Amino acid sequence: MSQTPYHELKARERIAAIADAGSFNEIIPPPERVMSMYLPKLGIPVAFDDGLAIGSATIGGKRVYLAAQAGQFVGGSVGEVHSAKLVGLLKAAARDKIPCVLLIESGGVRLHEGSSGEIGIAEAIRAIFACRSVGATTIAVIGSDIGAYGGMGILSACCDCRIMTEHGRLGISGPIVIEKWMGKEAYDSSDRALVWKTSGGKTRYILGDVETLVNDSTSAVKQGIISVLTKSAKPDLPLAETQQAKLQARLDQFGKMTDPDEIWMASGVTDVTTATLDEAEDFIKAFTRKTS
Amino acid sequence: MNTSDLLQQFFGASASRLTITDKLLTGYASVDGAEVCVLGTVDGTYINDSGALHLAAQVIDCVKTRPGIPIVMLVDSAGQEPNRTAEMLGLPVYFGHLLTCLEVARQSGHKLVTVATGKAIAGAFICYGMFADAIYALDSASVGLMPVEAMSAVTKIPVATLEELSKSLPALEFGAAPFALLGGVKEVWPVDAGLESKLSAAIAEATTEDTRAQLGKERGGRPQAYDVQQRVLAESAR
Amino acid sequence: MEAFQQSYSSKTLIWPKSRSWALAGVVGSGNLEVLIEPNPASPEEVAYSVETSIPDFKDSWLAALNDFASHYAIGGSKITIHDQGAAPVVIKMRLRQALDLLVSNTQ
Repeated sequence: MSQTPYHELKARERIAAIADAGSFNEIIPPPERVMSMYLPKLGIPVAFDDGLAIGSATIGGKRVYLAAQAGQFVGGSVGEVHSAKLVGLLKAAARDKIPCVLLIESGGVRLHEGSSGEIGIAEAIRAIFACRSVGATTIAVIGSDIGAYGGMGILSACCDCRIMTEHGRLGISGPIVIEKWMGKEAYDSSDRALVWKTSGGKTRYILGDVETLVNDSTSAVKQGIISVLTKSAKPDLPLAETQQAKLQARLDQFGKMTDPDEIWMASGVTDVTTATLDEAEDFIKAFTRKTS
Repeated sequence: MNTSDLLQQFFGASASRLTITDKLLTGYASVDGAEVCVLGTVDGTYINDSGALHLAAQVIDCVKTRPGIPIVMLVDSAGQEPNRTAEMLGLPVYFGHLLTCLEVARQSGHKLVTVATGKAIAGAFICYGMFADAIYALDSASVGLMPVEAMSAVTKIPVATLEELSKSLPALEFGAAPFALLGGVKEVWPVDAGLESKLSAAIAEATTEDTRAQLGKERGGRPQAYDVQQRVLAESAR
Repeated sequence: MEAFQQSYSSKTLIWPKSRSWALAGVVGSGNLEVLIEPNPASPEEVAYSVETSIPDFKDSWLAALNDFASHYAIGGSKITIHDQGAAPVVIKMRLRQALDLLVSNTQ
């Protein structure tokens, strides 16, 4: 399994590969049958874990709370039970002051459960900041093709750290929604290269939204997690002001650009073709962010 | 009720001190004589990266120049407009930054209170309004994930089925009242006289504890959430 | 949605000390999840419970489930399935995976 690319693994396989062997203790495991009460009423099959496996584990010997979303189950979307498990886990992390690692694969709120998942995600965001205020590092790992979208995109942006692979995508509106709104001329959602250049890990890394970009392997993801386990960043005024200036500068510098390659080059990528094809590790070595 | 009248309802004469730029509301006013910071959206506008920065700047200014005053957030936004460039420039990070600024304010002692006055839909609500200590909605507000027609279009479940189910599952019903049943808002206010004193009381009562799951259980709109959260806390403590 | 239960005789499964359940698969289009748990009350039978989003294939299901019970020792267990239209070959694969996960030494 260590050879299988991270993006091809299922949620529980990712947990098995990333947690130290035998260390994962699942909280509310499948036999407990804590499942969605909405989906049966809609004639949709339920999942024993409502698409989210949570538990405690050690990673590199350090105690963490760990969660993994199953992207195949209703698009990894977040319903009432799913979000409540996530909120409970984050609250436990804040209580125990240990890191919380989220293996994210989700399109956002589960429409089938209406506003219950929406409120759940909002509660989870409060819980993330509760973690951050006590130094319990919150880590969003985004390395699947489904990515982190909608409310889960916002939640990922609230974590202390994001770890991405080049397969991961971080956004709010998905490509199909954008194509429908803007037209195929403006955004062809079937153009995979464009989709990934728009929201994928490499662009996010170039712009500084992601501190850790790793190869698409479980060992690289695990190493990436270990490297940031203690990197909790308590929100304070200096941090807010620095980020405000950085994000404003980004709009000033790139706001008129429409081609991601333009942004890549303006940011310091000298050979776009090679950079596009490079694995994360090589990509990072070749890239020095231009400070203007 | 138009925006100007609404702001007068909440802030009286002090509403004239507020600024609206590109349908983004910022500034300082007073509620029952006490100074507050005000920020938010009006007229169902879209909120994007520069909008998030504009509101974040107001939060930062408040933390720097007005120690401890409450922050009132008004929400009347249709959400983010699907836009390729906004996604390319990292829209989620702009929203995350606004939320982080609000957390800085909270940790610095500023109370955060939200009133949904118009559209308060999904991302538009999550990216600032739903982060408050206490959240309210006017009874005329369009609060929820999305209208049932949109939900039907995406899920392929017929509107009639969703409407029937929403009778026993308020989570599927769009509007301020069902949202309150889920614990999403503390109270729904009719749009009549007395909004300023209601807001004043809301500010006084606000605490940093997130009680939405408990409310959702008590009111029956979210029967599972609170118990599942508590169960995770209990099982992880063993 | 269609749901049904059926038991079949099967050789007794020697339940591993370290596990009380195993889960294989994910509920998704063309896929299913399989949960295997102990059912010590009936050591010579496996009790299946199936929920599927594709109705009218019960005979095909029962044949596959009976086949699995006759080839593998799963007596004394109950197997619960949530299915979203998996083909018979995928059903067999997931049943096998669940059993492998249960008796294997790795997590």
